[in-house]
Amino acid sequence: MPNTYGSRTLAEWLTLVLGVIILLVGLFFVIAGADLAMLGGSIYYVLCGILLVASGVFMLMGRTLGAFLYLGALAYTWIWALWEVGFSPVDLLPRAFGPTLLGILVALTIPVLRRMESRRTLRGAV
Amino acid sequence: MRRSQLLATAACVTFACAPLAANAQFAPAGSGGAPTSTVPGPGNGSDNSFEPTESTPAVKSRFSGPSPYAPQAPGVNAANLPDIGSMDPNDVSQMVPQQSANPARGDWSAYGRDDSQTRYSPLSEITPQNVDQLKVAFVYHTGSYPRPGQVNKWAAETTPIKVGDGLYMCSAQNDIMKLDPVTGKEIWRHNINEKYEAIPYTAACKGVTYFTSSQVPEGQPCHNRILEGTLDMRLIAVDAATGNLCEGFGHGGQVNLMQGLGESVPGFVSMTAPPPIVNGVVVVNHEVLDGQRRWAPSGVIRGYDAESGKFLWAWDVNRPNDHSQPTGNNHYSRGTPNSWAAMTGDNALGLVYVPTGNSASDYYSALRSPEENKVSSAVVALDVKTGAPRWVFQTVHKDVWDYDIGSQATLMDMPGPDGQTVPALIMPTKRGQTFVLDRRDGKPILPVEERPAPSPGVVPGDPRSPTQPWSTGMPALRVPDLKETDMWGMSPIDQLFCRIKFRRANYVGEFTPPSIDKPWIEYPGYNGGSDWGSMSYDPQSGILIANWNITPMYDQLVTRKKADQLGLMPIDDPNYKPGGGGAEGNGAMDGTPYGIVVTPFWNQYTGMMCNRPPYGMITAIDMKHGQKVLWQHPLGTARANGPWGLPTGLPWEIGTPNNGGSVVTAGGLVFIAAATDNQIRAIDEHTGKVVWSAVLPGGGQANPMTYEANGHQYVAIMAGGHHFMMTPVSDQLVVYALPDHKG
Repeated sequence: MPNTYGSRTLAEWLTLVLGVIILLVGLFFVIAGADLAMLGGSIYYVLCGILLVASGVFMLMGRTLGAFLYLGALAYTWIWALWEVGFSPVDLLPRAFGPTLLGILVALTIPVLRRMESRRTLRGAV
Repeated sequence: MRRSQLLATAACVTFACAPLAANAQFAPAGSGGAPTSTVPGPGNGSDNSFEPTESTPAVKSRFSGPSPYAPQAPGVNAANLPDIGSMDPNDVSQMVPQQSANPARGDWSAYGRDDSQTRYSPLSEITPQNVDQLKVAFVYHTGSYPRPGQVNKWAAETTPIKVGDGLYMCSAQNDIMKLDPVTGKEIWRHNINEKYEAIPYTAACKGVTYFTSSQVPEGQPCHNRILEGTLDMRLIAVDAATGNLCEGFGHGGQVNLMQGLGESVPGFVSMTAPPPIVNGVVVVNHEVLDGQRRWAPSGVIRGYDAESGKFLWAWDVNRPNDHSQPTGNNHYSRGTPNSWAAMTGDNALGLVYVPTGNSASDYYSALRSPEENKVSSAVVALDVKTGAPRWVFQTVHKDVWDYDIGSQATLMDMPGPDGQTVPALIMPTKRGQTFVLDRRDGKPILPVEERPAPSPGVVPGDPRSPTQPWSTGMPALRVPDLKETDMWGMSPIDQLFCRIKFRRANYVGEFTPPSIDKPWIEYPGYNGGSDWGSMSYDPQSGILIANWNITPMYDQLVTRKKADQLGLMPIDDPNYKPGGGGAEGNGAMDGTPYGIVVTPFWNQYTGMMCNRPPYGMITAIDMKHGQKVLWQHPLGTARANGPWGLPTGLPWEIGTPNNGGSVVTAGGLVFIAAATDNQIRAIDEHTGKVVWSAVLPGGGQANPMTYEANGHQYVAIMAGGHHFMMTPVSDQLVVYALPDHKG
C-alpha cells in the first residue's frame, strides 16, 4: 500500500478540492437562490443549492454518497432545464453545460471515494 | 459608454457577495428623496419660462456650469471665423441638377448613394457565384487614430462617396481627401487642423457632400465642391478638383456654425453627418452631447446658401415664428431637441426630412415646452425655403428613453390605393418600429396604432404619455419583452446573477417608465433596434435590408445629491473631468432634479450581456408583397467576443451588437460589416446565406459602399472601429475587388 496512515494520494486531494468547489457553488446557490426566490423568481437554485451543499459536505467527509448526491442534483438540473427551455442548445448552455462537465469529474471520483470509504472502514476495524 | 464605466471596482472575493451587488449600479443612498422644490408643477410648463435668462443669478455651487449668456470659451470658434451675414432665401439661385439626383451607374454620389438614400447600387460584376474570390485591392490610411495620452473616443463611421474620377472622404477628425478609386493613391488632402478637444462623444465623420455650382462656370475652381460639417462646428467647402478652400463660400471657404449657439465649450456640440443640399440650400444639424445639462446649447436646424455660405433660415423649436439669426447677446433656445442623424433632402417637394432626438436631459421631461414635446424623436419635414415645418410625425411621445432617431430616412415609391404611386419615406427607429410615411403630408401609408403605454410612471410631476405609436404594418425589429428565463451566461452562476438583476429592476415591457428607487430595464435599448446604419432598399426587387440590435439597458434616475456624490458634472462645468459623465452613459442632467445612471443590461463582472443571444440580427423585408420577412438571422460571429472581453475564436453566428448599415447591389448581394466580430460579409439578397466574409484590420462600424472604376466593381469599408462597441480602432479604408484575371 502506498498510503500510510494520514497521507493522501493526489486523486484524493483532487477529490477534496472538487468537494470544496461543489460546496462553494452550493452555498452561492442557497444564498443567491433564496434572494431570487424571494424576488419572485425561480426556486430551482435554492433547492439545487441544498443538494449541492450536502454533496460537498459528504465528499469532504470522503463519503461516496456525496458523489451520488451531485449526480442527483445534475439529473434534477437537466429535468428542470428541459422543462424551462426545451431542447434549445443556446438556452441549455448556461443551465446544463457546466454542471455536466463537473458531473463527469464527480463520476471519476466515485472509485476514489470508495477507496477512502473502505480505508476508513479498515481503520475503524483495527 | 466606456468599458470602465460603472464596472464595480470593489472586489467581490466570495461568491456570496455577488448577489448582493446584483443591482450595484449604485447603493441606494437612503437620503435625498425627490427635491420637489425644483420640480415645476405637474406636467410640462405652459411656457418656456424655465430657461434661465440674462438676469437669472448664476448658481455658485461646486457643480454649476457657466450661464448660457456667458461668452463662448476660447477655442469654441475653432477657426476664429467672423460672423456670417444673412440673405433672403428667395434669392437662392436655381440649383443645377446634382450628381446625386441621377448618379452615373458606377458612382456613389451621396452618403446613401443617391438623393433617395437607397444604398442600392446597379453594379452587378460581383455576384453570389464569384464573391468568394474578392481580394483586397488597396488600403488607405486616413492618419486619424488616438495618439498616446489621448482617450480612445474614435469611431470614424465614414462612408466615402465616388463621383467620376475620385473617391472623396473625410478622416475621423475631418481632414478631407480625394483618392484614386483604382489605386487608393491620395490625389489631394485638405487638413483642417482640428483639435483633440473638439472631439465630443465620438470622433466620427460619416461623409462629405458633393455639390455642383450653378454660379461658378465649369472649369473654374469650385464649380464642383466638397462640403463637410466638422466636429468643431465649421461648414467647409473645398474645390473637388484641387482640395483648395472655396474663397467665395463663407469666410475663405468656411462658416462658423457656433454663431448664435451661446455659451459652449469644445466638444459640446458637433457635426458628424454629411449635410444634404436641397434646391441650393445646405441644411445643417448637429449633435449636442447627451446628458449634460437641461439648458445645453440649442438643437437648432439651419439652412445656408450652398453657393455663398450665407445664412438663410433657422428652425428653432421654441421660437417657431422667428427664422432669423439671433443678434447681440441672444442665442437660439437652449436645450431643444437636437438631430445628429443624416438628413434626407427632397428637391421635388422642397423638403428636408430631419430625424430628431430628444430635448437636452434625455431621461427627464418635465422641463420641456409643449413645442419641444411635439417634435422630439420625430421625423420633421422642413420647407427649405423658410425653415418652417410642413409636417411632423412623432415616433415616441415624451421620450425619456433616449430613443432619438439615428437612422437616415430612405425615399421610395409605394403603390397607392388607386393604382398610382405614393412618394414614401421609410423611417427606421431605435425601437425597431419602422414607419412608412407619405412624404407629402407625413401621414402613415402602412397602419400605425396608438397603443396604451405604462403611465403616468413614478417620477413626481413628470407623467408619461398614456399611448405610444406602433407601426403594425411592418415587421417589428425586436424580440418579445424580456422574461427571467431569457437570462443567460456561461454557467448557472452568472445566469443566476442576471436573474436577480432582472428581478430587482422595474420592468413592465417596452416604455417601462424611469424610476428613482431602483433601476429599470429599457428594452429596446438606446443602441436600437435600428441605429445610424439606416436601411438599404433594392427598388428592383423591392427588398428592404435592416440590421438591428437586441441590447437592453439598465437605467436609474439618481437624486441630485447622489449625482453629485457620483461626480456627474456637465462638460462645461469648471470641475468637469473627462470620463466623469458623458453621452450615452451616466449624465449629470444638470438643471433637472435628477442625474442618470445608464449601463448595458450586462453582468458587469464578465462583460457579457444578461439576456440570451442573439444580440444583433439582419432581416430582409419584401416591400412589394405585403411587407413579409423573407429571411432573418443573427448577424456576427463570436470570434472576437467572449467573457471578460476575450475573443473566443468561435465561428458560431451568435449575433453581436452592430453599428453601421448595409449595401444592396443588382448583383444580388448585401454587403455589411457592422457586427463586433470585425468582419465584412456578403449575403445573398434572396436567401440570406452568408456567401463571403473577410476579417478587417479594425471594427467595421461604418456603412460600406460600392463603385465602379476602370471597368471593375469595388467594395469599400472604413474599418475605423468604435470605442463604445469596444472594437479595435484603425485608420484604414479597405477596398475589395475581384482579381484582375476575372476582368
